[in-house]
Amino acid sequence: MALGEGRPTKRRPGSAVGGLPVADSRPVFDGDAVVGVRCTVCRYPVAQNGIPWCPSCYGTVEPARFATTGAAWTSTVVGIPVGERRPPFGLAYLDLDDGPRVLVHLVEPAILRTGERLRITGTDAGDLVAEVTA
Amino acid sequence: MNPMLWGVGTSDYGLQPEKRVEQLCWTAIAEAVADAGITPADIDAIIVGSVFGPPGVATRVQRGIGLPGVPMWTVENACASGTSAYHEAVEAVRSGRFGCVLVLGVDQMSTLFSGAIVPEATDPEGASSLPLPGLYALGAQRYVQEFGVTPEQLAAVAVKNKRNGLDNPRAQLRKAAPTIEEVLSSRMIAEPLTFLQCCPTSDGAGAVIVGGERGREGDLRIEASAMVSGALWDHRSDDVWGYASVARAAEQAYAQAERTPSEIDVMEVHDAFTIGEIVTLEALGVAPRGKGAELAPSGHTARDGVQPVNPSGGLLSRGHPLGGTGTAQIAEIAWQLRGRAGARQVARHRVGMVETMGGGAAGMDGNACVVTILSRP
Ligand SMILES: [Zn+2]
Repeated sequence: MALGEGRPTKRRPGSAVGGLPVADSRPVFDGDAVVGVRCTVCRYPVAQNGIPWCPSCYGTVEPARFATTGAAWTSTVVGIPVGERRPPFGLAYLDLDDGPRVLVHLVEPAILRTGERLRITGTDAGDLVAEVTA
Repeated sequence: MNPMLWGVGTSDYGLQPEKRVEQLCWTAIAEAVADAGITPADIDAIIVGSVFGPPGVATRVQRGIGLPGVPMWTVENACASGTSAYHEAVEAVRSGRFGCVLVLGVDQMSTLFSGAIVPEATDPEGASSLPLPGLYALGAQRYVQEFGVTPEQLAAVAVKNKRNGLDNPRAQLRKAAPTIEEVLSSRMIAEPLTFLQCCPTSDGAGAVIVGGERGREGDLRIEASAMVSGALWDHRSDDVWGYASVARAAEQAYAQAERTPSEIDVMEVHDAFTIGEIVTLEALGVAPRGKGAELAPSGHTARDGVQPVNPSGGLLSRGHPLGGTGTAQIAEIAWQLRGRAGARQVARHRVGMVETMGGGAAGMDGNACVVTILSRP
């Protein structure tokens, strides 16, 4: 059996691929900003909501809005189907300016230079989508 | 009580949907019990490592081997489930809680799923369709740019391990080993990782018997066993995913054993993808950061090299039955240290190491990592 054909998955595939719905844990983009929390003590940024304290120093966290721009940490182009995604599709870790590292899909699948500037343009089926800025 | 490895056993590895998952386990357990020279009644406790079970598999295994009532539990730590179960057995014997523990690692992947990879939807990155080869590819691509790692260096790991696996009668892949060119021209899974740089998922089980010192020929000293869970992996992390968790476990293991990386004669490490072996060997201190990709091309980690790595063929050749992988690695090191690895036998074999790293949860540098060091007394 080839990779991507008849391959194992995990127990909860989610409703997008025929499983039961699960609560969405992905970073939230509200049109202007990535919404998460920031520590009031050490300023640690997290693109998750609902956490009880700062995972880095245990300080109190408060709601925060993060920039949509940042620098690519690394990237890849996936050549196999994954869930509803059809290849090729591009993924990158994006270090948001003064914000957390988030996984984004790329508008144009490509290998990026480390540090290349990206901007989140929106979401696609709930996934963050980013493009290279000039 | 100083913990010792008394015996090991495994099933074959490969797609075996026609077999009961319990049958894979019974095969491994029977071999391990005979290897340890014990009777089933000597077993005080059972610890099982498995990711996908199925739920209750441990009890169905227990029924078949007639060990009612002994303490028994199941551990899930992703790909490190089998070695996490082993680590608990080692600690239990060390502390005197049990005198003899049966460790079982098992997964039967072929009966679970079909169709394209669908990552765990409750995970933020899984929900965004990041497959595990994609996660490793993101690390590999970072290495390409940061350290100038070449496609040929990546492919050399696959060639080495798949060649080693030709001599492993239990490995999943036993056909001719590919060339560098064949590895690189195989289908692109996630740049820069091609198909032949990814391990096949597999069905298989392994059993390990851990007990105290008893002076029996063939028993191996467990000099160290360290288990760590994941730590935050975020915008502050300059290391690729996975590196830091392996490094933390390795540091503890070397300290326990009072050894340095150069003292390890032979090792089995978690080569789920070629880049995995490279990053892991750096985290284990076998090569400096950024230099791990030179180890396979230089011959350092070849079976006849200075420090053979994955003489069994590794996950890339043996296959990856998640919970069954750690126990497979321990079995190979046991056979190597006793000088009983047949055509796979390495020349220097007094001190061996096993490393297993499991991951898949976003924002952490691993789910868990286990590093153990064993030696011939
Ligand atoms: Zn904080």
